[in-house]
Amino acid sequence: MAFSSEWVWPAWLCWIIPLIGAALTPLAARVNRRLRDYFAVAVSILTAFMTILLLPHLMRGELIHNQVDWVQVPGSTLISVKAGVIVDPLSVIMANVVSIVSMLIMVYSLAYMEKEEGLTRYWFFMNLFIGNMLLLVMSDNFIQLLFGWEGVGLCSYALIGFWYRDSKADWLKCWVGEGREAYPPSHCGLKAFIATRIGDVGMLIGVFIILAYAGTLSFTELQEGAVLKVPLWLLAPAAILMFGGPVGKSAQLPLMEWLPDAMAGPTTVSALIHAATMVKAGVYLVGRLFPMLYTAAWTAGSANQMITFFYTVAWIGVVTAFVSGTQAMASTEIKKVLAYSTVSQLGYMMLALGVAGSTAEFLLGYTGGIFHLMSHAMFKAALFLTAGALIHASHSRFLYHMGGLKRYMPLTFWCTVLTAFSLMGVPLLFSGFWSKDLILEAALTSGQLWMFILACLTVAVTAFYTVRMIGLAFYGPETERLKTLKEEGVHIHDPPPAMKLPYLALAAGTVLFGAAGFMFRDWLKAVFARFLGEVLGLGEAHATHGSMAAWIVTAFSVVMLIAGAAPAYLLYVKRRPTADQLLAIRPSLASLRAFLFNRWYINRFYYQALLEPFIASAGWLFRGVESKAIDGVNSFLSGSTQRLVGWFRRTHTGILNLNVVGMSLGFILMILILIRLALGG
Amino acid sequence: MMDELGLILQSLIVPAATSPFVLWLGRDLRHRAGWIVFGAMMYPTIIYGYISIGIYLGFLGEGLTAVYPWAPLLDRFTLLADGFSSPIAFLISLLSALIALYSIDYMEGSENLESYYALYLLYAVGMVGTVVSTNLVAFFLFFELMLIPSWALIAVWGTGRKEAIAFKYFMYTEAGALSLLAGVLLTKYASGTFEIFQVADRLKAGPPGFTTLIVSLILLGLLVKMAIFPLHNWLPDAHAEAPTPISALLSPAMIGIGGYAAIRITYTAFPVVMKDSRFTTTLLGLAVTTMFYGGLMALAQKDLKRLLAFSSISQMGYLLLGAASVSTLGLTGAGVLYLSHGLAKAILFMVSGVFMHSFHTRLIDDLGGLAGKMPYTATATLIAFLSLAGVPPLVGFWGEVFVFAGSMKTALTSMLAPNITQVWLISLAVISSIITAGYGLWAFRRMFFGELKPSLRISGPEAPALMLAPIIVLAFITVLLGIYPTTISQVMGQLFSNLKLPP
Repeated sequence: MAFSSEWVWPAWLCWIIPLIGAALTPLAARVNRRLRDYFAVAVSILTAFMTILLLPHLMRGELIHNQVDWVQVPGSTLISVKAGVIVDPLSVIMANVVSIVSMLIMVYSLAYMEKEEGLTRYWFFMNLFIGNMLLLVMSDNFIQLLFGWEGVGLCSYALIGFWYRDSKADWLKCWVGEGREAYPPSHCGLKAFIATRIGDVGMLIGVFIILAYAGTLSFTELQEGAVLKVPLWLLAPAAILMFGGPVGKSAQLPLMEWLPDAMAGPTTVSALIHAATMVKAGVYLVGRLFPMLYTAAWTAGSANQMITFFYTVAWIGVVTAFVSGTQAMASTEIKKVLAYSTVSQLGYMMLALGVAGSTAEFLLGYTGGIFHLMSHAMFKAALFLTAGALIHASHSRFLYHMGGLKRYMPLTFWCTVLTAFSLMGVPLLFSGFWSKDLILEAALTSGQLWMFILACLTVAVTAFYTVRMIGLAFYGPETERLKTLKEEGVHIHDPPPAMKLPYLALAAGTVLFGAAGFMFRDWLKAVFARFLGEVLGLGEAHATHGSMAAWIVTAFSVVMLIAGAAPAYLLYVKRRPTADQLLAIRPSLASLRAFLFNRWYINRFYYQALLEPFIASAGWLFRGVESKAIDGVNSFLSGSTQRLVGWFRRTHTGILNLNVVGMSLGFILMILILIRLALGG
Repeated sequence: MMDELGLILQSLIVPAATSPFVLWLGRDLRHRAGWIVFGAMMYPTIIYGYISIGIYLGFLGEGLTAVYPWAPLLDRFTLLADGFSSPIAFLISLLSALIALYSIDYMEGSENLESYYALYLLYAVGMVGTVVSTNLVAFFLFFELMLIPSWALIAVWGTGRKEAIAFKYFMYTEAGALSLLAGVLLTKYASGTFEIFQVADRLKAGPPGFTTLIVSLILLGLLVKMAIFPLHNWLPDAHAEAPTPISALLSPAMIGIGGYAAIRITYTAFPVVMKDSRFTTTLLGLAVTTMFYGGLMALAQKDLKRLLAFSSISQMGYLLLGAASVSTLGLTGAGVLYLSHGLAKAILFMVSGVFMHSFHTRLIDDLGGLAGKMPYTATATLIAFLSLAGVPPLVGFWGEVFVFAGSMKTALTSMLAPNITQVWLISLAVISSIITAGYGLWAFRRMFFGELKPSLRISGPEAPALMLAPIIVLAFITVLLGIYPTTISQVMGQLFSNLKLPP
């Protein structure tokens, strides 16, 4: 076993290398701009290599744990926090997804960001992000995880606001939204930070409660029984509070509104941080906490309370999946369609983990959630990268400025279609199909009929917006904007190799995993069966694979897929009738469209009913309490002192006779006192 | 360990003795007198750095104590540099030294600089002395020594309605100081000694509630210094209208001393009172109110210095929460918070001074789009605001985590049943960190993002090197301690674990 215990150094290096690389970026920039760019990309390639070195552990399905001393507070609850890495199937899978997708996106950035200013800042935060994300993934305790967690949040904040000038002239490139809900990048970065912070606060309260009883924040120690020291009536509320963190980070209801607006950042940032990796951190954390909470639910006899937690996760997930999917149906921006879609897909993953915990049959859901995390990372990153190519070509983020691009960008078109099929879950050849069906199957077998129905409806919604997006971007007549661009001499074509190759690789990956999806799914299930069985102390877990359920699910999902895709195909690809013609016939659809376009009015509600009154109340408090009440007391004190003194001053008349009388009275008084003292003493 | 070399006494005497020299030489040296002040304050910086490291590595045991004979009525003059006081004295000396450098360029055009620097030194000695003295009378004298020079500094070199504001500052703090004095005298009455470390053993059983009264009187004086709601009203004016280098000492170094002293005096001299959960719940309530009130006020400000002032009020709420946590971890957190707030707020006040120096404004709306023009200032400001909000890997994170985790632990497990009121209060305290992030990053956005305002398009470097260097040094320390806080947490935790509190 020498191999297993010593082969952990890549788990340390994979996050240390990018962190150091980020710090060195400004130095490389001093030398030469080109060197800086290649240096940053080289760092990410080296990082990916490190995580690939961890893959042998995946085959073994073991948990390896390695620590060094870090923070000590003698005599306290946190007597010694150790920094450590945890190498198990979950972290190895997640780390590889993160590092490989990041590497491809870094290569893509070489060409995509070439003409931008402030690239040192860009590369710095990108590598800082990769380092923090891998730190988060490899952490063996909550404190260290929080470093990564907040670190990625900071990078997200900085990179959403990359175009910090908020230039109105460039609003087609760097703003997000239109009309009343158009926001500049720096606004969106702030929004993302604060929204995720709201969730984090819940998570922190939960963590502090658990720490108070368990006396440790190490995942392995909590798993080994420390978590059961928490009184069972408090554990479920603490767990739900902790789920606040994932709700914020993974943009679930009610905190999801930040993610669509995070699209104000460069497309590469959206692809890496707001689709493939950071937003998965919430799902990852639920997956990480899953075994210990599951143990608490099923072996410590608190099933009733803990199931509330798992139901909360599942319901939030499935409702988010549906709500956000419908919002994507009316969006006018290509990146925003993808962002809504990301939120919706993350909802699926939450649903999977939630239903996994609510039944004794956890394997389907857990595997489904993690498998979907992988396939989503691949296809969504690819979709964003192709969207980047489209935005580059049309110089606009709006779908209505594109149209008819299929002819000019055939390769991009085919990559988009292949990865979009994966998103829709087109059967057999695409990884998204296998993972999504696993989730649906888990929902069905757990007996949650309403969740299953809502999840199936979301399949139709997904198919609709995906086909709509492809139709609007690639089909139909050439738009005015493209004509103008061509007249200006812009040559519209597929992008250069540095941009093409990354999404080609991701599209190939999604097809490869799809073609081998059946085998891969069963293998993954076996890995998690062995691993979770061991961690949970249940022995090897068995997946009772109900073939009946699997067939029902496939049938349902195919029907829903066609039900969603067919109308979109007619409206947006064939354009017989076009969407405008349809709206003319059916005006009721227009109000539905407005409802969806305005994000169910959730975002507007947050601004008008919560944020603005809150800030106004601060101003009101300042004027009412601070300036009027408290300063009023001050001026009352000083004013009355002055009045008192002024009144007393009137005795100082300067009339000699009065003064002499006063003096004599004083003398007499003093003498009387002295006599009294002398007699008394 | 006894302080045989008299290091602590030297750390007070050297700057104090330099003060008249500065007054004498300063008339010729003018603004360059700042260099002398820098040197004089580097001396205690080095001493307390050495002592802190000595405690961390163990060759100074638990720290240095010094005992000197004094007027018999007042007991002995005792000084102590242990794991709690020496890191804090180190920070105060370091800030005073660096801000002296910062003053050189900032104050260049002002008049009577020799008096400015002489008073500056006395003010710094007052702060360091308050922290290291363990005789209540000496403590009170140093406490007043902080007040008088700072009053003069505001009244003479301040801005706006400086005389009125300095007067308000003086009256508020002096009222608090009188309450403190009453508490100190009653302590002597109840225990027969002024020496903090002997009070607990000698405390005679008085009428019920008498000890609580003493502690309340002492705390009242300290809470005014900390600007805890509703005793905070002197602070926004004083911080906003003081000359910026003095603001950068008032807020980070001075007001936190109230929190420091609260921990030092109550837990050492009156441990019984702090075990009364009704008493600590009241303090927690005050702390949480202060956090929210300060945070909301900061959201409503248009003037950067005033925003920072209200932010300090809010942060003092966190410090009070730690002080009232009755746990080793929470008290350690309060110590770390003192340092993190000191570092961050010093950076931010110095940045506001940079704006006043370069653009002659401190209104947030007059600024905008400065990120490209002032990358170093922008980075340091972001680090400082994030540290205040408790974001890792910055030292503020540890302060908040320790304080919250420690007080949550006490609230949940120190009694037979969880103290639900305290749990709610602490949860509210955690929630208030959203407001901290909100006002910080919102102000940051308004100052640094967007298009560069035409009025700011002046050429030249970001700021004079002597103004920028202290900012960068402090930002660097903030990150360094954030990644590896053990140097501080070990030293403080070791000390507080002697108090035999719950963990």
